[in-house]
Amino acid sequence: MARQIKVLLSKLGLDVHNRGLITVAKELRDAGMEVIYIGNSLPREIIRTAIQEGVDVVGVSSLGGAHLTLGGELIEEAKKEKFVEYVAFVIGGVFSPSDAEKLKEIGFHGVFMPGATREEIVSSIRKIVSGKAQRLQGE
Amino acid sequence: MEQNKTTKEILQAKLAGRKRALLYHPDVLEKLRQEFQKWKSNVVREEDRLKWQATPHTILGSEIPREMLYTPLSNPDFDYTEDLGHSGQGPFTRGIHANMYRGKEFTMRQLTGFGGPEETNQRIKFMLAHGGTGVNVLFDLPTIQMYDSDDPLSKGQVGMSGVAIDSVEDMDLVFKDIPLDKVTVSLVTHYPSNTAILFPMYLAMAERRGIPWDRLRGSVQNDITLEEVVRSGPEYIPPPDCFRIQCDNIEFIRQEVPLWNFVTYNGYNLREFGTSGVTEMAVALSNAIATIGEMIRRGHDVDWVAERVAFFWSPASDFFEEVARLRAVRRLWYKIMKYRFGAKSQRSMWMRCHVQTSGVSLMREEPLNNLIRAAYQALAAVFGGVQSLHVDSYDEAYSVPTEEAALLSLRTQQIIQTETGITDVVDPLGGSFYVEALTNEIETRILDEVDEIERAGGYVAAVDRGWLHQKIAEYFYNERNMIEKGDIKLVGYNIYQSPVGLPPIHVFQYPEGVEERQKARLAGLKERRDNEKVNTALTALEDACKRGLNVVPYTLQCARVGSSEGEMFKVFKKAFGLWKPPVFW
Repeated sequence: MARQIKVLLSKLGLDVHNRGLITVAKELRDAGMEVIYIGNSLPREIIRTAIQEGVDVVGVSSLGGAHLTLGGELIEEAKKEKFVEYVAFVIGGVFSPSDAEKLKEIGFHGVFMPGATREEIVSSIRKIVSGKAQRLQGE
Repeated sequence: MEQNKTTKEILQAKLAGRKRALLYHPDVLEKLRQEFQKWKSNVVREEDRLKWQATPHTILGSEIPREMLYTPLSNPDFDYTEDLGHSGQGPFTRGIHANMYRGKEFTMRQLTGFGGPEETNQRIKFMLAHGGTGVNVLFDLPTIQMYDSDDPLSKGQVGMSGVAIDSVEDMDLVFKDIPLDKVTVSLVTHYPSNTAILFPMYLAMAERRGIPWDRLRGSVQNDITLEEVVRSGPEYIPPPDCFRIQCDNIEFIRQEVPLWNFVTYNGYNLREFGTSGVTEMAVALSNAIATIGEMIRRGHDVDWVAERVAFFWSPASDFFEEVARLRAVRRLWYKIMKYRFGAKSQRSMWMRCHVQTSGVSLMREEPLNNLIRAAYQALAAVFGGVQSLHVDSYDEAYSVPTEEAALLSLRTQQIIQTETGITDVVDPLGGSFYVEALTNEIETRILDEVDEIERAGGYVAAVDRGWLHQKIAEYFYNERNMIEKGDIKLVGYNIYQSPVGLPPIHVFQYPEGVEERQKARLAGLKERRDNEKVNTALTALEDACKRGLNVVPYTLQCARVGSSEGEMFKVFKKAFGLWKPPVFW
């Protein structure tokens, strides 16, 4: 039996819209993951909490337009801590198609947009996490 | 004693035993009942008989079952005068004005706000130049959450999904060349706290331009539900203090800016967050009841307050439910004001409202379909007799609308207004067996939920204890399940999916350099202003917060001397302390 996946979820910055993220929190918990929801937070704080909690996944949500700036900063902070190699980073929210591509280029392992189903979110998080674990074992 | 009775109990007591003038003669109804039974057994197919009631599953719907056919039997004790009345007459079910849209078109008030004040000013002028009839300004996330553009928390979000405002100088730029004494302006200050900060900036701007406040027309939102429930933010002040600021705003604006709508009970954002149309209205009414109660407690006359109350609703996808809801809440508000509060002025009994088509009903898949969705929602709103309307744009599942998309939204309204002929007749669906039965059903359900809130200790207590937070979380989780199971059908998303991907649409790009421009302007202001005056004003504000004085004269003084929004919010946080809202999942 696989180890329980531990996920940290946060709203990026000052974005007020949390319906999507609360829904995802419940869905991941129902799928057997351990979920920590910290509400609104900035990249540095998110990474600090993620390290303290030893999570496998950091999921952030942004519907207010700051996904590239704050999302980019999040990955930068994670790189500083060499964290990005061990932990899966996923982002959900309202993005243009070209911004969704940019988010993947920046380093997000999963990018979820309006319309993403529970099945898509849960299974792709599991896949990213197990992919990372295998790669690390191989090293 | 009436204070101990719930609104529902008061209405029941006041309306009990009233003689009703029945539209349908009992003998006729009895004959009809027999014929109806015969028809049902002989003509209607068995499978239809077994599934006589069907429940529409729709985005943000109320799950109210519907009969296959409505007849006079659906509303047997229909009393035209008592239940409907003519338009412009109590209970205003048919509309608050006798001539409705013949007398005054609905105001076409498209939301505008992105980037810095300069960009937003350009877009406002563009919409007015194309026939928009009102201004509706949306603020960026830092402004809404009351942080300055130079706050570390604001990084990367300045000018996103709204316009950045730090001080009276920015407010002045947003409204450059806009005749404030001629157009009506809606400032989408969702929260009581930011209303108490941003509206004084608007007033200070009017002062600078020499426009007397009694010529300003427009509205603010000023709703505790938005600040304490429908928000995700880093810092919250406690609900009782938030409610007090809501009432302070009302008191000050009523006194000093007499034509201004000082509160717009915002059902919209609550419903979009995740509630049925029934809960949306029950919550807004409960808040309104609590507020008017508090204003009376403060010694004000009920009509002095109630004449300027306004509401903001979200028409979603279930067409007839939306029409019926608007009619139902108009009638219920009339009863509440007349029988619970003893209002004398007709105007106090008017449920005046602005509506915005439903944002969460917009799909990312095949975005042009959203034009159709929004148009039907707008049509339902007009059948429902609203005063003012915003139509969402088709590209909003991607970003802030482009100029082209925003123009299409305005055109949707203009086509309804000028090409369909709908606005020539008041309440065209009134009298429909179906619409009247549904209106009755929805009114009952709204009042039942108001009762539930009042029995749980009243509105502020319901917020404080997380009752509403929990209800919302349950609703939207359930709705998500229904979409995933395909019970709620969404064209192009979970039914009739396109086998080939459609070409991408042109999406809005934010202007660059806004954050730097805002920070530079704020830094310039902080150098130029008299910092001693600013400190004095901020200290006086803190003192007013602690002593229970109305805070608005003090935020006004802060705005006049050039205090920033963030500086004023810091005072609120210091004076009231912080509150942690419950999160349920």
